[in-house]
Amino acid sequence: MRETYGKLLPGMSLSDLGGKLIVIEGTDGVGRTTQINQLKPWLEEQGHAVLDTGMTRSPLAGEGIRRAKEGNNLGRVTQTLFYATDFFDRLENEIVPALRAGFIVLTDRYVYSLMARAMVRGVDPEWVRSVFSVALKPDAVFYLRLGIEQLVPRVVFSRGFDYWESGMDLYPGYDMYDSICAYQAALLAEFDRFSEEFKFETLNASAAPQSVFSHLKIKILRLLEMDSPARLPSMLASRAYAPAVQEARLPCAAGVTAVDFDWTEGTIAADPGHSNGNIHGPVQEVS
Amino acid sequence: MRLGPFEVLGPIPRAVSRPQKRAHNGFPGRLFVVEGIDGSGKSTQLSLLYKWLESKGYGVVFSQWNSSPLVKDTTKLGKKKKLLTPATFSLIHATDFADRTERSILPLLKAGAVVLCDRYTYTAFARDVARGMDRQWVRELYGFAVQPTVAFYFRVRLETAIGRLLDGRDGFKFYEAGMDLDLSDDPEESFRLFQGRIIEEYEKMIPEFGLTVIDATLPIETQQTRIRQIVESHLVKAAGLRIWP
Repeated sequence: MRETYGKLLPGMSLSDLGGKLIVIEGTDGVGRTTQINQLKPWLEEQGHAVLDTGMTRSPLAGEGIRRAKEGNNLGRVTQTLFYATDFFDRLENEIVPALRAGFIVLTDRYVYSLMARAMVRGVDPEWVRSVFSVALKPDAVFYLRLGIEQLVPRVVFSRGFDYWESGMDLYPGYDMYDSICAYQAALLAEFDRFSEEFKFETLNASAAPQSVFSHLKIKILRLLEMDSPARLPSMLASRAYAPAVQEARLPCAAGVTAVDFDWTEGTIAADPGHSNGNIHGPVQEVS
Repeated sequence: MRLGPFEVLGPIPRAVSRPQKRAHNGFPGRLFVVEGIDGSGKSTQLSLLYKWLESKGYGVVFSQWNSSPLVKDTTKLGKKKKLLTPATFSLIHATDFADRTERSILPLLKAGAVVLCDRYTYTAFARDVARGMDRQWVRELYGFAVQPTVAFYFRVRLETAIGRLLDGRDGFKFYEAGMDLDLSDDPEESFRLFQGRIIEEYEKMIPEFGLTVIDATLPIETQQTRIRQIVESHLVKAAGLRIWP
């Protein structure tokens, strides 16, 4: 049975929401969009119907938010609520119907980004949590993490300095470089805190995109087979999935846990030599 | 503070996110709001109050429900295309209210203005709960609102209000009549049912928030005299707010 983080929206039934809600989270510049652009066709190839969604894509509030951000007079509480409007429009009109229809929903950011942005702006954390407490708990949150030293150059050199990404509303008067460092570091700290609280599965986003992709594929395969674990060994051994498993065995940068795949048992376990064991979530026992 | 090679700026300033905890009299200004269903005559009374305060030399500012330049186009779009659910209806109105609070109401109260609001958080509490939103969640949603000096509630019988409204125009709008709730296919009947629920919510809020009840069936002049007496009693100690003479 699906759950929310607190209250339930009127008219929203949680009983028949099949599907899977998969969240890709992380600060700016970690390559979320790149991953989703690869994950969607890959999942569709496996025969899953996929809905991808992300911030400011709602028909109701997306355009309004873009217009409001053209100026520099969007206050922090207003900003939080405007994004919440966008989020709940998509939750009720896209995400929930898709889950009900058995889709895999891939979402580029979720309430965590919105909460982090509000909290680093000094908005009362209790209030922020209350606003977003009606959100659905996802099936998995993959947190693409990049240290501040890599994050800032990635954002700056790919898109240039953006007023809001640099947190200039928080640090007026500073130059954009100082501001973006402070702002993104504060966001990162917030994400790291959430990562424990909301049980994110952390991936090191400094690895090559293909390596991150391979890890995501393995984790998603495990998630999709949770409902019928008996099928896991045969599925993983099948030709379609073998490349993903192979790729995931490639060496990757420090911080990303290597995945050990036991072909005889058909289980994937976090390698205790590399990780604290919970990066992959609870290890699935296959009988 | 250093983080890697980066010098990180000092702590981020805290937003005034829950100003109601500091109570209205923490600010030099005063905030008066009017509440009630459509057709209760509250806007007429507020504009008479505005004229009077202005003539007395106060810096008076008027803020209307649903009037934020950043947000109102989105609300209009949602209503026109019928995109709004109870949740997004609630959130978009809260967004509009937040913008007016952050950009105008709060700074003006700090600057010592007399701020008059036509509809305030109680409108959202009444309407959103009548639409099925959780009572507590909606109250928390508006946790950033400044507590008014006085909130007037214009109490009127539903039939009286409907009579006044139908005199002035052709019919009822979709959301105003609560047509999104499928209470009835007939707009007038739907309006009746929906506004009836709203009145119930208002009645519960009178003791909860200490709303000042004005009998909206009394002559306009009688109501206005009563309102001016109450407002004046709250301005006695605020003579300094007069910007002239």
